[in-house]
Amino acid sequence: MTQAAVAVERLEKTLGANRVLRGISFQAQPGEIFGLLGPNGAGKTTTLRIICTLLSPDAGQVRVLGFGTKTAPAEVRRRIGVVTADIGVYPRLSARENIEYFARLCGLEGAELVRRLDGVIERLDMGSFAKQRAESLSSGQKQKVAIARAIVHDPEVLMFDEPTSNLDVLASKEVRDFMVESKGRGKCVIFSTHVMHDAERLCDRMTILHQGLVVAAGPTEEVRGDKRDLESAFLALVET
Amino acid sequence: MHWAWIVLKKELTEVLRDRRTLLAIGLAALATPLVLFVVSQVSSRTATQTYTVGYSGDIPTGLDILLRATGLALEAVPDPAAAARLQVDLGVSFRPGEIDEYYDPTRQSAQIADIRLQTILGQYDAAQAAAALKDRGIDPGILTPLKLVAHPLSSPVKAASNAFLSFFLPYILITMILTGGFSAALDSSAGERERRTLEGLLLTPAPRSQLLLGKIAAITIVSLAAAVVAIGSMFVALTQISLPGSGAASNHITLSPTAVPVMVGLALLIAFSFSSVTLALGTLAKSFRQGQAYVTPLYFVTILPASIILFIPDFNPSLAYYLIPILNAVLVLRDAIVHDSVSWPALTVTTISLLATGALSWVAALRLFTREALLTK
Repeated sequence: MTQAAVAVERLEKTLGANRVLRGISFQAQPGEIFGLLGPNGAGKTTTLRIICTLLSPDAGQVRVLGFGTKTAPAEVRRRIGVVTADIGVYPRLSARENIEYFARLCGLEGAELVRRLDGVIERLDMGSFAKQRAESLSSGQKQKVAIARAIVHDPEVLMFDEPTSNLDVLASKEVRDFMVESKGRGKCVIFSTHVMHDAERLCDRMTILHQGLVVAAGPTEEVRGDKRDLESAFLALVET
Repeated sequence: MHWAWIVLKKELTEVLRDRRTLLAIGLAALATPLVLFVVSQVSSRTATQTYTVGYSGDIPTGLDILLRATGLALEAVPDPAAAARLQVDLGVSFRPGEIDEYYDPTRQSAQIADIRLQTILGQYDAAQAAAALKDRGIDPGILTPLKLVAHPLSSPVKAASNAFLSFFLPYILITMILTGGFSAALDSSAGERERRTLEGLLLTPAPRSQLLLGKIAAITIVSLAAAVVAIGSMFVALTQISLPGSGAASNHITLSPTAVPVMVGLALLIAFSFSSVTLALGTLAKSFRQGQAYVTPLYFVTILPASIILFIPDFNPSLAYYLIPILNAVLVLRDAIVHDSVSWPALTVTTISLLATGALSWVAALRLFTREALLTK
């Protein structure tokens, strides 16, 4: 059996008085889009933040490509790229400078840095605005900058946390296409969303969280079961 | 250090494109010469201005000439006391063997006119006494049996220059280091949270201590640049402006050779501490505006020790006082400027104190920068 790209085991986390995660476990494999679904407050973002080492779990553990988030956080961060709904870019830097800054912090330099920058700008079709200051970019263009900086170091694991929630239809489609393309390249894509339609179309497997617990897990068809669509299955799970 | 260098370069690039910070530094460059020019003009006007004395009665012979020569214009009034309230600067009633003076101490012009009158009357009395003695064949020298011969150990012009610099330079240095880096510090901390760029930054493999070091180094450089611009423009202005007490216009204010390295060393230590403190406070804030509310009290905490020389010019405390940050820097810098010398024990205690302040500030900033609440609250 191949090594899981991301292995989450009995994860627990309390933030303030709120017990956000109550012992969740799942595994995501290379070359698949893995859905992390749940209503608001289910613990999706907290789970992703623990996976990418921004938060420490109170109990349980996470391994990314064999590296523990507690024991080797820098190695984990080298192997992941994260795209969130909050499109944070440095407004006074150009799109290219934004990407370059993160690329350098990920250890890229010299000819390799230039090659990666050119490659990612071409791949995401950013040539027309790469030299523009980020403060003058549209939401869709900023989201491309956010994606570019998350993938410029060619990570094995990509995590998308509600990546289309602030985008229009066209920009959302481009993000979805990119996720499918990344899966085709053998990347492990973890997709956190509450848009059931997107999840049903894109995810190979998924875990549904509710109140910090896993309430369903498995291949998408299996989770959907005999319900009309994933949304119906989801509602049946979280309303019981 | 590799990561810190990357962060430093990026932060400085952003600062150079930030109108707020550039405007603050530009204003610092303009404000100091402007203040000096206004002070110089007001002082010159005060020194040369003629004040009006409203009088009644007969003026003693010759006294009117002396009063006019010292810039006191005479104007006959029916009631000197009433005139001194509004109409003139000073009211004087000359009566045989007595002079009644009326003035309002709340008016600066009345105070100056009073001093001039007292001085002239003193000289007039001495001259009258000497003339009376001479008429009687007595040597007027008996009035001054002990003749004072003053031997100033330094040039009075230099003393005036040093007195001015000993207050103004530490004040400008400390306030400019603090305020010059405000905007950059908040942009680099609270601004990162507000723009939602902090999470992306913390997701890179770079150690957080290195990220923080890069940011603090950038803020330190901006703070020092603001201080250099302000002090540089101040000295340029001083070559053009004649300050009160400096005498001839050619006597310009200059900094003693000892004070320069002392100032540079202290500026570096203070800038590092301030950068760490402002970054730590900015990290507590969720937005630039909130950060301003957190950082502003820091200005008031530092302004008092920075201006202590103004209130107590001869403040010579024990060595223990040199443990107090900012106050110690002001005192050491004052001694270097006024006496052109350094007290090594005082400088050592000051350096240790500022290094400890910088280290504590760094630890506090690092703890705040690495806490989970940075992302969850």
